[in-house]
Amino acid sequence: MLRLKNGRIYDPANGIDGEVRDLYVEGGRIVATPGPDARIDREIDLAGRVVMGGAIDLHTHIGGGKMNIARALLPEDHRADPVPAMGGMHAGCGHAAPSTWTTGYRYAEMGYTACFEPAMQPINARHTHLEMGDIPMVDKGAYAMLGSDDFFLRMLASGADQRLINDYVGWTLDASQAMAIKVVNPGGISAFKFNTRSLDIDEAHPHYRVTPRQVVQALARAVHDLGVAHPLHVHASNLGVPGNADTTLATMAAAEGLPIHLTHIQFHSYGTEGERKFSSEAERIADALNRMTNVSSDVGQVLFGQTVTVSGDSMKQYGNHRHASPDKWVVMDIECDSGCGVVPFKYRDKNFVNALQWAIGLELFLRVRDPWRIFLTTDHPNGAPFTSYPHLIRLLMDKRFRNSKLDEINAEAAAHSQLRSLDREYTLYEIAIMSRAAPARSLGLTDRGHLGAGAAADIVVYRDDADREAMFAKPEYVFKDGQLIVRDGKVVNVVNGALHAVKPEYDKGIEKPLKEYFDRYMTVRMENVRLSDDEICTCGASKLIPHTCKGRKA
Amino acid sequence: MLCDDLEVSRAEEGVRLERPACPRASRLFAVPDQGQALIAGLPVSLDEACRSAAILLSGARRPLIGGLGCDVTGHRAALLLAEKLGGVVDHMHGAAQFRNWQAFQNGGWMTTTLSEVRNRADLIVLAGTDASRYPRFFERCIAPASQFGELTRKIVVLGGPAASIPVMDGVSVSSLAVDADRLGELFAVMRARLAGTSTDVAADVAGVPAAQVEALLADMRAARYGVLVWNAAELDFPHADLTIESAVNLVKALNQATRWSGLPLGGNDGDTSAAQTCTWQTGYPLRTAYEIAGPRYEPLLFGTDRLLKTGEVDALLWISAFDPDRTPPAADCPSVVLGRADMRFARAPDVFIPVAVPGVQHAGFLHRMDAVVALPLTAPAPSSLPGVAQVLAIIQGEVNHAAA
Repeated sequence: MLRLKNGRIYDPANGIDGEVRDLYVEGGRIVATPGPDARIDREIDLAGRVVMGGAIDLHTHIGGGKMNIARALLPEDHRADPVPAMGGMHAGCGHAAPSTWTTGYRYAEMGYTACFEPAMQPINARHTHLEMGDIPMVDKGAYAMLGSDDFFLRMLASGADQRLINDYVGWTLDASQAMAIKVVNPGGISAFKFNTRSLDIDEAHPHYRVTPRQVVQALARAVHDLGVAHPLHVHASNLGVPGNADTTLATMAAAEGLPIHLTHIQFHSYGTEGERKFSSEAERIADALNRMTNVSSDVGQVLFGQTVTVSGDSMKQYGNHRHASPDKWVVMDIECDSGCGVVPFKYRDKNFVNALQWAIGLELFLRVRDPWRIFLTTDHPNGAPFTSYPHLIRLLMDKRFRNSKLDEINAEAAAHSQLRSLDREYTLYEIAIMSRAAPARSLGLTDRGHLGAGAAADIVVYRDDADREAMFAKPEYVFKDGQLIVRDGKVVNVVNGALHAVKPEYDKGIEKPLKEYFDRYMTVRMENVRLSDDEICTCGASKLIPHTCKGRKA
Repeated sequence: MLCDDLEVSRAEEGVRLERPACPRASRLFAVPDQGQALIAGLPVSLDEACRSAAILLSGARRPLIGGLGCDVTGHRAALLLAEKLGGVVDHMHGAAQFRNWQAFQNGGWMTTTLSEVRNRADLIVLAGTDASRYPRFFERCIAPASQFGELTRKIVVLGGPAASIPVMDGVSVSSLAVDADRLGELFAVMRARLAGTSTDVAADVAGVPAAQVEALLADMRAARYGVLVWNAAELDFPHADLTIESAVNLVKALNQATRWSGLPLGGNDGDTSAAQTCTWQTGYPLRTAYEIAGPRYEPLLFGTDRLLKTGEVDALLWISAFDPDRTPPAADCPSVVLGRADMRFARAPDVFIPVAVPGVQHAGFLHRMDAVVALPLTAPAPSSLPGVAQVLAIIQGEVNHAAA
């Protein structure tokens, strides 16, 4: 048994806010304080240290076809950050579009123990699981993308019963070994294939005549009825478009009280005020989030520098291509299923729009009061690479530091933003909520993201450094399932992670019309789209962690 | 194309393809279920062959791990071994692949996948290819009904005559004679015309009469969903990457008003899987060396032919588990070959290890040409032969042992 003694524990799921306590670990789990006869094999004194659960990133593009497009597109970016093979770790590359190996090592080195790929195309699921299988150190999961796939849109357009839609959503989760459902530019990826360049929430799809609102409603209902823990994960219509805040608010309303998660909301909080017709609507969006307790969100913070944007939103990425830096970009229509767009991007602090994007993200973080419903993300790599999280945490926790950065950005943007007037500084407890307890709860991971007895022993120990960036960049210890994997911000023990997937109940009768559809129109058989449970390990994960769902009657 | 609708039956020796008729698939399935490891042409045990291969490869300063004709399980093992040995990796179709990668890395592109073509494409322009190297392309992607109602499809072949294209209901076929190495010129002028530049001065473009160019362009602009198809392997002339770049630039330009996508044909001998696996593991789509500081990518320098000719590699590990005709290129350095059991050599390699055929004799994963769809491979005719990954794992074990 391992005793971690005297650490200052931040464990919001159990209401522990900086109390000095001992933790006991046995068999990869946190166990209750044992009796005096217990055999302690190892003890580490953590006096003065900050102790949290392993961090969980619930929206990070770590693997899948479009990440591989981004990697292949950017050799010049990799060249600045080569990673040699060393100490049992594989060679690779880092920065904006890191190799799979490096992704795992660097997440672990920051104290992350689980990462969720938010945009797995069902048709690309096997490839995505192969990639994720080569991401070591962390547990993984993926959200299956629906809402622009032709089978779903055909059903919706024909007025199919919600129960059939639920079965199809259940089948998709099962067949693609997914953890949740995501919708990206609802119906819009499909509309782009019909040469439509924008689709607002109540506009009819050019072929199916259904609206994004209907898509969101049908999918939110299905996810709810199937009992999937994580609500429908929504990348709303009109990403990046000035004035899109109205669409974002309408999307929240479209859920009609059902749980819904609006992702990278920074990119959806724009107004059209001012000379440049681009302004912050962070206050209005944050007010809505504060009011609507069925809505959660992650920010998708922009941080300055070179990165690459990868998205299933082929329609909006096509529209963004003129901003590509370096000037090259990829847009793909994918298999009557979805699409993708990859556009390299350099966010510049002296650029009005980029600077305002930065300020809008921070405003959202600071204005949304409930850290259980707003998660720490940069939408890696879209707003910034995930390795910038420690910097972002410092911006949230340190007002003086934040204001000093505000002094450096485009002056006009700084003047437009109300960021300087916001005094809030996140506490360690709130950071622990938004990066651990809340994502675990949102995903239904009952034994992760906390430090209570019975939890998996994913534990991170930090030195309590006033420079929060330095503190969060290099944890002193990281334990994964009870094993020490990182010491002083460096991997010391390479482990493999498991795959989380939900196993909802649904009527397999849906396979009859689905098979007919595949045989008639597709170039792959339905049976070969499905991944078996056994494949998860041959793809590379250490094991499959199935999560049962308690379905609700439709 | 990784057709997954094949029906096979067990024959006396292994399996036989029942339907559909596809010469490429028939060859794949006609495979012996036994083989003999050889050192300098003389029979040895598998273990002896692996030990000898390990000694040969670990003695090299920089070995080339080439061929890479296998599935993802084999590619993973090959990359692991290359990392261990400080080797460089390239696929046997690297020359064709890198015509595409160079164009891609210079400007990106807009592309589509097979089912999109099948359901949406109303104008298919075949540039420098008649797709005959993909015997089932038309049957699977062009002939079938679309889910979006009646589609009147047109195929235009830019290149030789269109004689090889099958007659299909509702599909009209025409051709324009253009030399493949002048396609880039044709596309550039078409893009200039789209941008409003007048080309009145020229009577013809790339040998095509100006009026025909205008007519083609008008058709392309009128398409609802056009697809420009090329096969990098057939664009076999200097700087063909620039032709591909010109093609994708035209596709991008057409998208200002209507929808167009490119479709690069490929996906032979596991080339798509090799590039995908190397990309996710290193960041680079092959032609990458494992060096002290990390992977080094040199798309122009690390081609198989050049590396062997210049002597920059001093050992060759050649992997070709699908096609017995894909023997290693002539090399002055020592060589180890992992090949199909029925592979025959003009000159015996130092070590030959027969391996199972992915998808016939062992299970695994393989990507289709569009890289989106990765299929599970089964083993309808399991054999006692080890798969590429198994052999490489044994060799890696021997290399580790030698290093310890």
